[in-house]
Amino acid sequence: MTEAAETRGSAVGRVGGRKRQVFLAVGGLFWTWLLARWAYHNTLLDGLLTAVGLPDVLRSDLGVSQREPWLPADWFAGVAANLATDAGGVSVLVVDPLVWLFELAALAAESEPALAAGAFLTVYLTVLSMFFGLFIAVPAAVTRIYGGPISSRISLAYTELIRGTPLLAQLFFFYFGLPLAGFISGFRVMEVSGMPRAAAVVAIVAFTINSSAYQAEYIRAALQSVDPGQLTAARSVGLSRLQGIRHVVLPQGLRYAIPGWTNEFVYLLKYSSLAAFITVPELFRRARNIGSDTFQFTDIYLIVGLLYLALVITTAMLMNRLERRVTIPGVGMPAGRD
Amino acid sequence: MSLLRIENVDKSYGDEDVLHDVSFAMETQDVEVIVGPSGSGKSTLLRCVNRLTEIDSGAIYLNDEEIHSLDENELRRRVGMVFQDFSLFAHLTARGNITLGLREVLELPKEEAVAKADDYLDRVGLADQGDSYPAELSGGQQQRVGIARALAMDPDLLLFDEPTSALDPELIGDVLRVMNDLAEEGMTMLCVTHEMGFARSAASTVTFLDEGRIVERGPPEQLFENPEHDRTNAFLGELSGLH
Repeated sequence: MTEAAETRGSAVGRVGGRKRQVFLAVGGLFWTWLLARWAYHNTLLDGLLTAVGLPDVLRSDLGVSQREPWLPADWFAGVAANLATDAGGVSVLVVDPLVWLFELAALAAESEPALAAGAFLTVYLTVLSMFFGLFIAVPAAVTRIYGGPISSRISLAYTELIRGTPLLAQLFFFYFGLPLAGFISGFRVMEVSGMPRAAAVVAIVAFTINSSAYQAEYIRAALQSVDPGQLTAARSVGLSRLQGIRHVVLPQGLRYAIPGWTNEFVYLLKYSSLAAFITVPELFRRARNIGSDTFQFTDIYLIVGLLYLALVITTAMLMNRLERRVTIPGVGMPAGRD
Repeated sequence: MSLLRIENVDKSYGDEDVLHDVSFAMETQDVEVIVGPSGSGKSTLLRCVNRLTEIDSGAIYLNDEEIHSLDENELRRRVGMVFQDFSLFAHLTARGNITLGLREVLELPKEEAVAKADDYLDRVGLADQGDSYPAELSGGQQQRVGIARALAMDPDLLLFDEPTSALDPELIGDVLRVMNDLAEEGMTMLCVTHEMGFARSAASTVTFLDEGRIVERGPPEQLFENPEHDRTNAFLGELSGLH
């Protein structure tokens, strides 16, 4: 490993040595699986490959509930069944957990394509909502602090209204209350393959608005921790208030906001499961449906819980890396926080 | 025509009178040093000149233009300020601290701004620190960047708000040397400072401010050797006792 890579590597993980390697290996496997799956089901990619004369490379026509022929779900299930009927005199204390493990593996193998497709929507909803939400959150936070009496109150009312009402209620309001889904379906772009269904777009709208309010609060707190003398200094050079905020306060404040922002990211990853209630086939909804089909609720929720955990941990690691990357001596990462 | 003319300025925060009927004038190339006990209104007076604080009544003229008739950003471009706590932009390098104003206010092209910034860093003896962040510089170095930042905007007048009082004694010298050089080069400076050595060697006029009023004003020799007022005498005596 080169010296530069070594230093950068050691900056990422507070988890040291061997443990870190295991961490990265597991995370790498998880994401390889997800990305391969997403590519495999991507109609756009499939279309492209067909267009250049490579038909049938990907299986975008595969229904997500269909199992893959090359996954040994049946074998796992068979082992579990055999063990359950004929334990060969081994104590039930050993056999029962083994049976359960094989059943779990069978279920995982069987539901894996569906869960990968669900995870795609979960990540898609979360990342887009966080991204769009940021564009509302920054102006909202800035007006809240620096705005006049009216604009700052409007900003306050917005954040309090959104934070003060349940996310599920907001989702239902946009989906059932406003005819937003019908409106969105009217757009021609929705017919393009690869675009999510109208319900997913409604979910993105609702999550964007919801997360923008939370992000605004994190950013407001971060901006307020920037020394007011910084803006005074900017103004004393001749910068206008807006220039000072843009070039001096925001670059510092947004760095302070990263830990809070990570928190919101992690929250939204999990709360995006509420989209299941407006028919968006994201991770949680897939799990619920599989549970209803197989009655293995405990098992499928265990599997899906592990998937959420993996998503959350990788997010936290990435954000940690981002934070270290943008750190400037004296800004954003006070000495001793390690 | 005076470069800066302050006429009958009053300023209060609530019930508290901070400045009371303050008037004086400065010519181009003057170095005016304001001394006075803490709470006497020295810093407020400086901040009134570049409108970081607004006066209640009276008038302030820069080159015979009333400063409230000027755009405040234009006024601040023409009146630079150096702060007690340096107030460097913490996320920018020494060079970036200087180029920000050049790029955003004077709208210089990037290469020109960088060249100018490096030139001013060289003038304050920090040619090799252009890429350092404020947290990586000593207090004395930070303050010299602060001076370079103000100077690069090509101001008519520089305000110094106790530029050395947050510094360790051994770091004060470098900053004072830069200020002395500026005075010799003919920069017009309005300084709040308790550095009596600087006041003696560089000041054209020293003003003693107490409780928001000008008690006494004159050339440094007169004020230091032969003050008219007992209060001036007592205050200066206390200062020299400290130093």
